[in-house]
Amino acid sequence: MKRLSILAATAAALMVTVSGPAFAQAAAQQPATIDGKPNLNGIWQAMNTANWNLEPHAAGPNPVADRQVGATGAIPPGLGVVEGGEIPYKPEARERLAQNRQHLINYDPEAACYLPGIPRATYLPYPFQIVQGGNDDILMVYEYANANRVIEMRAVEPPPIDTWMGTSYGKWEGNTLVVETLSQGPGEVKLPGGVMEPNGVTWLDRAGNYLSPTANVTERFTKIDNDHIQYSATIEDPEVYTKPWTISMVLYRHVEPNAQLLEFRCVPFSEQLLYGDLLEENASPAEGSSPSK
Amino acid sequence: MHMKKWTAAAIGAVLAVSAAGSAVAHHSFATEFDRNKPIRLEGKVVKFEWVNPHSWIHLRTADGTVWRVEGGAPSALLRRGWNRNSLPAGTDIIVDAFRARDGDTRASAAEIRFPNGRELSLGNPTTEAVQAAARRGASQ
Repeated sequence: MKRLSILAATAAALMVTVSGPAFAQAAAQQPATIDGKPNLNGIWQAMNTANWNLEPHAAGPNPVADRQVGATGAIPPGLGVVEGGEIPYKPEARERLAQNRQHLINYDPEAACYLPGIPRATYLPYPFQIVQGGNDDILMVYEYANANRVIEMRAVEPPPIDTWMGTSYGKWEGNTLVVETLSQGPGEVKLPGGVMEPNGVTWLDRAGNYLSPTANVTERFTKIDNDHIQYSATIEDPEVYTKPWTISMVLYRHVEPNAQLLEFRCVPFSEQLLYGDLLEENASPAEGSSPSK
Repeated sequence: MHMKKWTAAAIGAVLAVSAAGSAVAHHSFATEFDRNKPIRLEGKVVKFEWVNPHSWIHLRTADGTVWRVEGGAPSALLRRGWNRNSLPAGTDIIVDAFRARDGDTRASAAEIRFPNGRELSLGNPTTEAVQAAARRGASQ
């Protein structure tokens, strides 16, 4: 626990001091290995449309705000990142999928600024930072919602409770960092319009794909060269899928000299979505606020 | 110079963490709960919410009222060894708590007791202090 807080403090200190060029230069001079393991330190980001839909998809209009935002909110096309192309849902699990798809964006935890879970945190369209020391746990800090997770470098055990980000255990297999994440369960989830979802699930993308609290996610981080990581995540969830399935993609290092995580504290941006109905009920149109006066 | 910056940053980080701590606490005990309104609640657990900044026990008493009892933060409970099986729905518990100032069926507690006398801390330090002070007052 002490180690965790030291890591967290280090991360906070990093976010405070990262003073652009000086830090980036230091990063460029980093050793290729730490204690004989590949050095994964740096700021990384996926460059694909997985967060719109893990499966292959054509371009399309924004599912909810086409009229307001036009092409700026449209869905970019993607070849998909699922090995084999399709997620092997069990027939009974397709009901939940269909339900999610009836409420795209509106019920997506990303729209409410809830924590994204794993593996979605990796391929959200925001950078994340890996903080790796010698012979210690590894920290991953995500720009989105100030999310983070500590990867405990020890044997997997049943986590005490379900959480939005789950509990991650890591080990090295040769030059590959292998991370197992268990017990991702949002529990009771507050949705727009005062709706409560008693059994929340972790959304994997904006297309409503999901995993359940019984899922076991195994990620692999393998450096291709200094600026690229081959990333994969295998999702095993006998409650939801007929067989384990895998997504894979490349993660790119931010090499610009002033690369750094900025703050995307998005809770205030979700308030209109989650509680706007209350505002409309209670607020009377402000007198004198009309521009025509 | 570089070193100095790091030290300053470390202090900044600690400050940021403790500031977040008080923000997470969200309210002081005294603004939401009344130390002069102790209440003993006995009943069955309806559900237990593992939420920040405070966990909540929902408890149905004999007259059918559902009370919500505030406990410590999930992280504090985990440090004390709590897990998903610690307080299943239907468990009989006894709670000595302090009522909310607004008169709602909410209260804050430092610990819960089971009918066999076993006690379990709720990791709620301010409420613990208030309860300790109340006991000291009672014994004088």
